[in-house]
Amino acid sequence: QNAPPAGTAVTTPEKATREAATTTGGAPAGFVAPAEPKADESAAARAQTQPGNNAPVWRAARDSGSQPGYSSLPGAEQGMLIQPFVQYPGSRLTNAGEAWREVRNRWILPYGGSFLLIVLLAIAIFYWRKGPLGSPVRDTGRKVERFTPFERAAHGANAAAFVLLAISGVVMAFGKFFLLPVIGSTLFGWLTWLLKTMHNFVGPLFAVSLVIVVLTFVKDNIASKADFVWLSKAGGMLGDHEIPSHRFNAGEKGIFWWGVTIPGLIIVASGLVLDQLLPGLAYLRGDMQIAHMIHASAAVVMIAMLMGHIYMGTIGTHGALDAMRTGWVDASWAREHHSLWLDDIDAGKIPAQRSGQPDTTPASTRPSAPAQGRA
Amino acid sequence: MLLTRRPPSRTADTGPRGGSPLVDRLVGGLARSVPIVDRRSFLRRSGLGVGVGLAASQLTLVRRADAADAPKTGDGSGKKVEVKRTVCGHCSVGCAIDAVVENGVWVRQEPVFDSPINLGAHCAKGAAVREHGHGEYRLRTPMKLVDGKYQRISWDQALDEISRKMLELRKASGPDSIFVVGSSKHNNEQAYLLRKWVSFWGTNNTDHQARICHSTTVAGVANTWGYGAMTNSYNDMQNAKAAIYIGSNAAEAHPVSMLHMLHAKENGCKMIVVDPRFTRTAAKADEYVRIRSGSDIPFLFGVMWHIFKNGWEDRKYLEDRVYGMDKVKEEILAKWTPDKVEEACGVNEATAFKVAKILAENRPGTIVWCMGQTQHSIGNAIVRASCLLQLALGNVGKSGGGTNIFRGHDNVQGATDVGPNPDSLPGYYGLAEGSWKHFAKAWGVDFEWIKKQYASPAMMTKSGMTVSRWIDGVLEKNELIDQDSNLRGLFFWGHAPNSQTRGLEMKKAMDKLDLLVVVDPFPSATAAMAAMPGNKDDLNPNRAVYLLPAATQFETSGSCTASNRSLQWREKVIDPLWESRTDHMIMYQLAEKLGFGKELVKNYKMVQGKGGMEPEVESILREINKCVWTIGYTGQSPERLKAHMRNMNVFDVKTLKATGGIDKETGYKLDGDYFGLPWPCYGTPELRHPGSPNLYDTSRHVMEGGGNFRANFGVEREGVSLLAGDGSHSLGAELTTGYPEFDHVLLKKLGWWGDLSEDEQKAAEGKNWKTDPSGGIIRVAMQVHGCHPFGNAKARAVVWNFPDPIPQHREPLYSTRADLVAKYPTHDDKKAFWRLPTLYKSVQEKNKDIGKTFPLIMSSGRLVEYEGGGEETRSNPWLAELQQDMFVEINPKAANDRGIRNGDWVWIKTPPMAAVPDFKGLRVKALVTERVDAETVWLPFHFSGRWGGVDLAAYYPEGAKPVVRGEAVNTATTYGYDSVTMMQETKTTVCQVEKATA
Amino acid sequence: MARMKFICDSERCIECNGCVTACKAEHDLPWGVNRRRVVTLNDGVPGEKSISVACMHCSDAPCMAVCPVNCFYRTDEGVVLHDKDVCIGCGYCSYACPFGAPQFPSNGTFGLRGKMDKCTFCAGGPEANGSAAEFEKYGRNRLAEGKLPACAEMCSTKALLGGDGDIVADIFRTRVIQRGKGSEVWGWGTAYGKPAGGATPAPAKEPGKS
Ligand SMILES: Nc1nc2c(c(=O)[nH]1)N[C@H]1C(S)=C(S)[C@@H](COP(=O)(O)OP(=O)(O)OC[C@H]3O[C@@H](n4cnc5c(=O)[nH]c(N)nc54)[C@H](O)[C@@H]3O)O[C@H]1N2
Ligand SMILES: Nc1nc2c(c(=O)[nH]1)N[C@H]1C(S)=C(S)[C@@H](COP(=O)(O)OP(=O)(O)OC[C@H]3O[C@@H](n4cnc5c(=O)[nH]c(N)nc54)[C@H](O)[C@@H]3O)O[C@H]1N2
Ligand code: HEM
Ligand code: HEM
Ligand code: SF4
Ligand code: SF4
Ligand code: SF4
Ligand code: SF4
Ligand code: SF4
Ligand SMILES: [Mo]
Repeated sequence: QNAPPAGTAVTTPEKATREAATTTGGAPAGFVAPAEPKADESAAARAQTQPGNNAPVWRAARDSGSQPGYSSLPGAEQGMLIQPFVQYPGSRLTNAGEAWREVRNRWILPYGGSFLLIVLLAIAIFYWRKGPLGSPVRDTGRKVERFTPFERAAHGANAAAFVLLAISGVVMAFGKFFLLPVIGSTLFGWLTWLLKTMHNFVGPLFAVSLVIVVLTFVKDNIASKADFVWLSKAGGMLGDHEIPSHRFNAGEKGIFWWGVTIPGLIIVASGLVLDQLLPGLAYLRGDMQIAHMIHASAAVVMIAMLMGHIYMGTIGTHGALDAMRTGWVDASWAREHHSLWLDDIDAGKIPAQRSGQPDTTPASTRPSAPAQGRA
Repeated sequence: MLLTRRPPSRTADTGPRGGSPLVDRLVGGLARSVPIVDRRSFLRRSGLGVGVGLAASQLTLVRRADAADAPKTGDGSGKKVEVKRTVCGHCSVGCAIDAVVENGVWVRQEPVFDSPINLGAHCAKGAAVREHGHGEYRLRTPMKLVDGKYQRISWDQALDEISRKMLELRKASGPDSIFVVGSSKHNNEQAYLLRKWVSFWGTNNTDHQARICHSTTVAGVANTWGYGAMTNSYNDMQNAKAAIYIGSNAAEAHPVSMLHMLHAKENGCKMIVVDPRFTRTAAKADEYVRIRSGSDIPFLFGVMWHIFKNGWEDRKYLEDRVYGMDKVKEEILAKWTPDKVEEACGVNEATAFKVAKILAENRPGTIVWCMGQTQHSIGNAIVRASCLLQLALGNVGKSGGGTNIFRGHDNVQGATDVGPNPDSLPGYYGLAEGSWKHFAKAWGVDFEWIKKQYASPAMMTKSGMTVSRWIDGVLEKNELIDQDSNLRGLFFWGHAPNSQTRGLEMKKAMDKLDLLVVVDPFPSATAAMAAMPGNKDDLNPNRAVYLLPAATQFETSGSCTASNRSLQWREKVIDPLWESRTDHMIMYQLAEKLGFGKELVKNYKMVQGKGGMEPEVESILREINKCVWTIGYTGQSPERLKAHMRNMNVFDVKTLKATGGIDKETGYKLDGDYFGLPWPCYGTPELRHPGSPNLYDTSRHVMEGGGNFRANFGVEREGVSLLAGDGSHSLGAELTTGYPEFDHVLLKKLGWWGDLSEDEQKAAEGKNWKTDPSGGIIRVAMQVHGCHPFGNAKARAVVWNFPDPIPQHREPLYSTRADLVAKYPTHDDKKAFWRLPTLYKSVQEKNKDIGKTFPLIMSSGRLVEYEGGGEETRSNPWLAELQQDMFVEINPKAANDRGIRNGDWVWIKTPPMAAVPDFKGLRVKALVTERVDAETVWLPFHFSGRWGGVDLAAYYPEGAKPVVRGEAVNTATTYGYDSVTMMQETKTTVCQVEKATA
Repeated sequence: MARMKFICDSERCIECNGCVTACKAEHDLPWGVNRRRVVTLNDGVPGEKSISVACMHCSDAPCMAVCPVNCFYRTDEGVVLHDKDVCIGCGYCSYACPFGAPQFPSNGTFGLRGKMDKCTFCAGGPEANGSAAEFEKYGRNRLAEGKLPACAEMCSTKALLGGDGDIVADIFRTRVIQRGKGSEVWGWGTAYGKPAGGATPAPAKEPGKS
């Protein structure tokens, strides 16, 4: 029903068929068969051995991802017709763009998303079945300083940045599944643009605070013998009593290493690539894809782990949040959750107050005597 | 192909910012986080033509239901949308464009599918012409150079001062002290008017791009068979069975011509490309032959050797229509044996044979040539060798055959035909007194008055200097030049400086001038070259430099002649931007001040233009129609041309012929006309000659565009008749054998005098067909008797009035091959040639071992995105973005030997640089590619704005520097000129390439 | 319904960049944004072929699949368009697009790229056809005017064909039959998942010898 674009078809199909018919007869007199085409020959050679077979050119087109053609436009990757062929973990062997799409859309988003949901669900069930750990905080009158103001500030900044990043990241990755249908594309677009822009700028802040946090807490997160005991008994979570631990128990240490430090550094590194902030890189599409896959995967892991951490740090453990909010814990809390640490304090190995700030706690409640044993 | 990849670069300044790169990137990034609106909002402010095309739609492939609704615009009030038909202002293909103009702003351009020439197609340049309507880098006001800086002045001041200075120079040194470089960018009317203007000023010192473009073709080809023009058309190439491109890179220089060629190829045409480079055109060829630059004659004769050896020449054709081929054959068989051919051009016997065989077996075949042949000191001979090949094959004067010489600029054909040439008046009339009288009459002025304007009658009939040599006109010792004074004043009236060779000397000449005037829409490289500091001793303290903003061809109307000789009428698209004025207005206004204003516009209707009164363009064309009989510029009245433009759809794409069609506006019947009335369109418009699609085509009646070779060289030589053989004549001619050109005597002899009307008899008495002001002789010869007014003769294989009657190979003045210089030396020096001493042998002798220090052949040419000197196209951001760096193509071997890698900066060094001790060379990027062989390097010639590694940005007028700047290749080119036309030797010289450290 | 497609006939394309500039001019694109570009393979050696590439308006478009805000949509004619009001400039589409079609006005430090811009098949965007808002964000809407893409219409050699897939494939097939070679349609398989009607199959997706 549609006319062909003007000026394009200067030839008529009839004529073409006629010509085709005349050329399909037997070989003309004096015809010399060209040499057999070889698989690897250049386009020029192929034009001789098998005129009309442009396979070498198409090979070049397909390979232009790794052997780019020429384009007068300056800038990277202009000579690339199709992105190079790769096989990312989980993808088919296909052009990098498609491969990346497969990894992101077939693995990271569905499995990552499900994983996060499962973790969330598990936490909920855990909370439902088990409720907060430990006993409600008692005021024994004796307080120990668990976090210095500096530690709390570092943690706070880090936590805030993380939450922003996680929320914005999650919206970027999954928003279109749960938010978009609810709020509509215009609003969602604005919101995501806002979050995404924020994510881009908060990321580097997070990087800085992360480094501080890691340096601050690394000393107390080095594994010790007690951790094995703790671990072998699964932190006592199966029973009623917590297994004694130092300042941080093996679970927390696990989070520290496997939920914070390692994925954090990975995310930071890959995030800085995605943000195009590291000098000296070309930021080609391939680089970005790889950075993205790493970033997003690590983000899923980290979000999952830290969901656990946040759970434990808030409603999952009686009194944990106060520790972070005020810096001080009741000795009974310390005894319950980190008895070895309290032992060390009692033994004077660790000062009960490490911050130099003027002491705001009442003198009477200051740690002075060993704890009265376990409640 | 990693080897040939051009390196990524980001050198264009997209707006300078300070501070650290990170901050810049961040600021830029933030600024651009919002959608891109800046340029588009410009259009909006001017009443944005959104949805304009909803009304003007031409195609109905897809139509959305709601699209038919009339467009709604913001203001809605008094919106005026017009569609103006114009023609691309870049190359000679002549692609038509529909410009959509809204409230005086050019908002859009649409392809013209109806155009038989381009069917809507455009290359990069054509697709980007709308940028002309934006013109942000244009020269906006008249400017004067004061203390090294350009200052804005008023038009009145500019015209006053320039004319005063001119009159002073005239008084002190005579009218010949001024040289006017005209332009192939002017439309026919402006080009013609400029020749008239210069004549009324009183000099023949005028020229234009054709000199450095196809002058050798024009002279060589005209002397072979009559007219020095493309014989057939781009369209007609669809009929070719074979096509040999030799020295043409049509894919970059005439891209839309490839539309026709590729179609021919799909229908079985064999395409051969002969070029020192493997060009983009070669990439499309069936056969590519690499020759050494400048060795076309050995190659062509090598091919002809096989043709003659195998008896493939068209004997009947040669007998009937060619004079002297026997002598040529003899010489070729003796001199150009395969070994000699291979030695001189590098092509082996088998290849030459193959080419000969393809051409012999696929007739008609056409030959295409361009700058690869013309720009040599033997250019005139090379092009004749190409003609000889076609004559031997019997291909000339046939559809599908011919010599398809692709011309250069959009109107270089027209400017050559009727424009500023130093050796002729419009229509190739020559400078003899008779010609002057013919024109004095046509111009309505007294012959004696014109004569008085000149320094002397001798100077009036003496060819002027050429644009290729104006620098010598300034610098040469006075006693050695063939006019009283040296050149002291110069106009660049639509011409770039970096297109002429010997740039280093040009700077000197520019500094020495008393007056330098640039009339151009852009400041052009002249502005920067004149303002940049040179050698202090060269600078004339009294020098005055002016820049006058000219309107572009989109800001006026007029006709332009495409390469195939078709004339197309451009409608005015927009008013001149900023303060610019049309060229013909400037000519008139200066003429008024110089005292010949009235004479200049005597025959013209004057109309109001932006900036003053100007001659109506149509009336200039009518004057052309009344006097340029020689080449048939007489039938193309403005009315006929406009009717063609309005009714392009009736013309056939292959034949260019109209089938039926009546122009709605005028009732003009188009049937039988060829598109654009390709010249010669003989006789008066009333004669209704349809134009000549293919020259010398005997298979058609002369009234249907047929013809034969011209009788222009006498009737007999050495006892041999020069007239066509018996039975050889154009279809239906009453005279069935050769005959001389028509004049009153011949008409009377034939008893045809009575066919003239009484008035015609009166006018024709004592006249020939070229000077008869009534056109009666032409009418009678053609319409009544079917004969060709210019006679019917043989083509000349031997052009006895040229330095080499049979083309001879001669090595370029700067050759890397001392052995060949010895065998094929150049001409002897000439004393007064176009008023200047011209050196050949003495230069070649002195430099015969130059290959030891400068071992690479240096050649130059075109990139598709840029045009000519390039200031115009490099100021167009859409084009500039596509080519941001000046580069040199160098073979991997040559590069490796010099430690050069792809993308490195290199210095190009050439012999003339020795004279300027602190000049380091051209700093360009290396593009390592097998496109060129290891002995050759190639550079694009469109760059300027850098000089010996220094950016000249500061020397342009404020805000008017081109977006992309680079070294001009012609800063480095050497001496060397064609022995007939003064064509500069740009395609073959020598250089050395060094890696730039730091 | 017509299904819009591009074919670039590499036997004809001469790398004249007419298509690139036609696009820039038609849509008034700023420096740095090139909705179309021309790539030459085997540059400078026999076998040299050029291909003009823009958005291929893929059937199963990777860009669309990865866009975090789902701002892409496909028109009835199969044209892949996007909504700049929704686009957040994350660049994912450019990572995913096999052909490098998505363009950004900026370079992306801190991930700041500006809104994505790409070939619209000259079909504008979500705004009202032919409206000023549409033009400012997406350039002209030629399809709504009953015209075909500027790039294809102005292609100097008619190498670039754009329009209803069936028709362009027909034109192309006619040429192929006539000249008896060059039948491969570049990018068709990648973009549309199947060979152009009738022509020999597009190159296999896996690299390797052929
Ligand atoms: N894009 C673009 N198009 C243009 C122009 C432009 O500036 N830009 N200018 C227009 C003008 S003014 C002109 S005159 C035409 C010119 O059009 P062309 O002449 O086709 O263009 P060039 O690139 O100058 O030269 C053509 C070829 O000649 C080859 N060559 C060099 N030396 C020799 C030789 O000794 N023998 C042979 N056989 N070949 C040789 C070069 O390698 C080059 O490939 O283009 C017109 N069209
Ligand atoms: N090394 C080397 N040198 C060469 C060549 C080569 O191949 N190699 N080629 C040669 C050839 S073939 C040519 S034709 C020349 C081309 O070289 P030029 O013709 O000198 O170069 P252009 O830049 O095209 O010059 C045209 C000028 O006219 C201006 N102009 C445009 N329209 C108008 C108008 O309407 N009115 C006025 N007044 N001005 C206008 C433009 O802005 C531009 O400045 O270069 C020659 N030089
Ligand atoms: C240095 C720190 C970080 C930087 C620089 C950073 C940067 C980025 C960037 C540039 C993107 C791509 C999207 C875009 O261009 O806007 C991105 C995506 C994302 N980031 Fe981060 N990020 C950082 C930390 C984090 C953290 C800590 C998390 C989560 C805990 C996170 C989760 C995500 C997620 C989920 C996505 C979306 C992935 C997708 O949509 O597929 N990021 N980040
Ligand atoms: C809203 C979010 C968060 C809350 C409510 C929260 C809460 C807490 C609480 C209550 C503690 C103290 C636990 C104890 O006393 O043993 C704690 C410790 C800690 N938190 Fe968080 N946290 C949050 C986010 C983060 C984030 C994003 C990080 C790092 C990326 C982080 C890293 C740490 C570290 C390193 C400790 C010290 C314990 C350890 O090293 O294992 N927290 N957090
Ligand atoms: S430059 Fe020549 S080929 Fe290109 S559009 Fe203009 S006239 Fe046509
Ligand atoms: S070519 Fe790229 S941008 Fe266009 S539809 Fe396909 S994936 Fe999307
Ligand atoms: S840049 Fe815009 S269009 Fe592209 S994926 Fe991101 S949001 Fe979608
Ligand atoms: S279809 Fe339109 S938007 Fe797309 S590349 Fe062509 S001209 Fe540009
Ligand atoms: S306009 Fe046509 S020939 Fe020119 S580069 Fe584009 S696709 Fe190729
Ligand atoms: Mo030219």
